Amino acid sequence: MKDMSSDFRDPELAAALRSALEPRGDQAAFVARVMAQYDHALDRGTVPTLDVLASWFRPGIAAAAAALIAGFLLGRAILTPAPASFDTALAPMEGQGLAALVTAPDPPDASVVFASLVEQR
Amino acid sequence: MGSEDDAALVARTVAGDSAAFGVLVDRYAGQARRVARAVLGDPDDADDAAQDGFLSALVKLGQYDARRPFGPWLMRIVANAATDRRRRRNVRRSEPLDPSLVGGGPRPDAVAVQSELGERLRSALQELPERRRTAVVLFDVEGYSHAEIARILGIPEGTVRSEVFHGRRRLRTLLADWKEQVR
Repeated sequence: MKDMSSDFRDPELAAALRSALEPRGDQAAFVARVMAQYDHALDRGTVPTLDVLASWFRPGIAAAAAALIAGFLLGRAILTPAPASFDTALAPMEGQGLAALVTAPDPPDASVVFASLVEQR
Repeated sequence: MGSEDDAALVARTVAGDSAAFGVLVDRYAGQARRVARAVLGDPDDADDAAQDGFLSALVKLGQYDARRPFGPWLMRIVANAATDRRRRRNVRRSEPLDPSLVGGGPRPDAVAVQSELGERLRSALQELPERRRTAVVLFDVEGYSHAEIARILGIPEGTVRSEVFHGRRRLRTLLADWKEQVR
């Protein structure tokens, strides 16, 4: 009895099948027929450069718009000065500063106010 | 150039050498046409499918991994081309057997005997599910391993073993009956 395991090839069956499936026409003619389509197949299979560019058009526009918006928001955040805090405004300064001016019991002299303004600059 | 290995021929083809591709086609033409015929039955349809497969492979050669054998990669493309063609077309069924060959007539000569056996085998193949007959042909006729066939057909190796086993059982029965008949 023949080994029915699929691990070994069956030469008799192989020969019969090979004969049954043998191509009808000449091999050289078949090769020539395939080679006649060589250039056409390559032309058909190559994607033109413009098509590649076109496929990137929409994603490219979207990416550029996103970069523009991000740049605008970032630039605005950097260029806008942060408001000074109250503590900063009252920070002690050398000489007669703003703190002395605000906490003084008596109205300040005009020269003191002027000096304070100059120091603030 | 005939003894040049497949990977080198592929590299030359990718570089634009059409003659190298011609060698590959010549090398695999018989195999591709038989595999396509196993799928389609009709030899003319099979040649069309094999041609589609070669040209499709030509366009996809850049995707071929040269560390792997070329044959299974190509046969996968050819088998897919044949399957696509079978789906697209209403493939003609095999011609019915000539009644004089089926039996009862005068004893046929050796060529006619071989021709009838071939016809019966082709008919039996067409009765098998497509995947099963392709697996048997790839294993027994073309000599691919189960693992390679698994990659070609995109199915697990265990399924390939099962398909080959069941396909052979049917074909061997037919072959044995035939031998009894002509004895």
